[in-house]
Amino acid sequence: MDKILLKKAFPQWVKKLQAYRIYAPSKDEDIWTYETVTTPEDIDLEFLTTALSPKKIIFPQREVYLEFEKADEDNPKIKEILPDDDPTIVFGVRPCDAKALTLTDKVFGGDFEDVYYWKRRNQTILVGLACNTPPSPNCFCLSVDGYPHSTEGLDILLTDMGDKYHVKSLTKNGEKLLNLAKSLFTPPKTGDKKDLQKIHAESEKKIKRQIKNLKKVPPKLKGMWDSPFWDEEAMSCLRCGICTYMCPTCHCFDINDEVHSSVPLKGQRIRTWDTCQFPDFTMHSSGHNPRPDKASRLRQRIMHKFQYFVEKYANYQCTGCGRCITNCPVGIDIIQVLDKVRDYGS
Amino acid sequence: MSVEKNELNPNNPFLPEPARIVRMYPLTDDVKFFQVRIADMEKALAFKYCVGQFAMLSVLGAGEAPFSISSTPSRPGLLEFCIRKAGTVTEALFKLKENDLIGIRGPYGNGFPVEKIKGKDVLIVMGGLGVAPLRSVLLYCLDNRDQFRRVILLHGAKKPSEMIFREEFLDLKQREDLECYLAVDEDDTKEWKENVGVVTTLFPKINDINPENTFSLVCGPPVMYKFVLKELVKLNIPKDQILMTLERRMKCGVGKCGHCAIDYIYTCLDGPVFTYWDIIHMRELI
Repeated sequence: MDKILLKKAFPQWVKKLQAYRIYAPSKDEDIWTYETVTTPEDIDLEFLTTALSPKKIIFPQREVYLEFEKADEDNPKIKEILPDDDPTIVFGVRPCDAKALTLTDKVFGGDFEDVYYWKRRNQTILVGLACNTPPSPNCFCLSVDGYPHSTEGLDILLTDMGDKYHVKSLTKNGEKLLNLAKSLFTPPKTGDKKDLQKIHAESEKKIKRQIKNLKKVPPKLKGMWDSPFWDEEAMSCLRCGICTYMCPTCHCFDINDEVHSSVPLKGQRIRTWDTCQFPDFTMHSSGHNPRPDKASRLRQRIMHKFQYFVEKYANYQCTGCGRCITNCPVGIDIIQVLDKVRDYGS
Repeated sequence: MSVEKNELNPNNPFLPEPARIVRMYPLTDDVKFFQVRIADMEKALAFKYCVGQFAMLSVLGAGEAPFSISSTPSRPGLLEFCIRKAGTVTEALFKLKENDLIGIRGPYGNGFPVEKIKGKDVLIVMGGLGVAPLRSVLLYCLDNRDQFRRVILLHGAKKPSEMIFREEFLDLKQREDLECYLAVDEDDTKEWKENVGVVTTLFPKINDINPENTFSLVCGPPVMYKFVLKELVKLNIPKDQILMTLERRMKCGVGKCGHCAIDYIYTCLDGPVFTYWDIIHMRELI
């Protein structure tokens, strides 16, 4: 369903959404992050790429599975901790980050459904914002089957049209949010559709970075397992792992016990994000490490995103947000790496 | 090779189920035997697993780790584990006493394709702690002896004192329906009457292998595979009838956390049992 919402009516819409916990982009010093907001005035939709994607709302960096207390040795208290039931809206989700959630959905679904992930996922409505101009100079969504105005994974897509938003509702949940303030949404006028198409077409032209012929990369990678290429590319890597921590599609985690008091024993079993870029990620307790150096770990990251995931799910495990490029302290640039892979040996 | 999912807590696989240590005793200097029973009697009896699967054991405050199940589903009710002290969780497990509580979740992994192996010759090759998952198969074969043809066991350890279940295996040599050969790399006791040498020196002792009808099951330290696989190939055992159960660092056990991901598969879901064929086509498995 296509509607128009005047920008000046936007706060009135948000006021009708009191029943929801609302996250929106917020600027802290120079960093944009998604934070909970209480008034419509706190929502700023003129934002650049956020430090972390809204993945952190569905799959937080630190999550408590259970709390334990062992006052009585033979009768420890173990309490399952599940996410709360609060319905949630995220405003200003970039199309690449929404698509990323459709990819983590594949991992957290399957035969063993991850109850923590899905509880939040199912109660969260994603209101997207098309990128009329790329929010980062390193955006490259067009190269990985994405668009700056893609609707994949979103419930609503907003497109900024000057003094108004074009509002495309995509799911029942999206419809529900529009119905809470029906009178504010008007049908598009003649010309609006044309303007929208023009804005969307222009937004694609503004994306400067691209990987040509990415299709050639997955089959090429298959033959590059033993190549010295990985040693060369990983030479400068500091193994800080930021490329994976900032990535909206990475999903690896660790499970550990945190002890808050030793007598009586009290603590929590938690899961935290983890990264394949750390040496002990694959280290056996015997000390044997099947992925022993940074070359093999860079290979893992690239192969996972552009070969294994493609083979398993027929999608790149990358949505072109550019965060790994922007944040790498030594300038390892996934676009350049993939360009080199494509042309390797030719 | 996938198996039916049999979660202890189907609504949340990450919840550990309390289990009690029934017996524990040392097997070697750094390996202990643990016999545990799920505290909830109904769940203990309903717990189904197949040979070659693993479980996550946990100690509150120390965390969780994956362990091969060493017991056989043909003896339900109790679960057994052979555990080497190697990290935080195992250190905490070693400090416990009989009757103490631990957490368990699982069973996980594909396990051995027992139905395919039935009616065939079984050649089990194990080294060191490789006994942990393969003891499950061995006991299963012995409990259902009429369902298998020859059962051959080759077991290697560094020294007699480091041979896990040494006395049990020496006793098994008496059985006429099992061909059991034991070896130690080095005999520091001067009382060892069995073979001295690495596990591959036991291969000449087995006669008349019928390769098309043989399944070989292998587990041991990474260094062992190369040499054992060479011997099995020499015997002309088809590569998809050579099965290995592999170690991998794991955290979740249910294909989410990424630690055990190799190529497009997860060791915890698609393994830990792989064929030699898989290993040739999927690098980094060992």
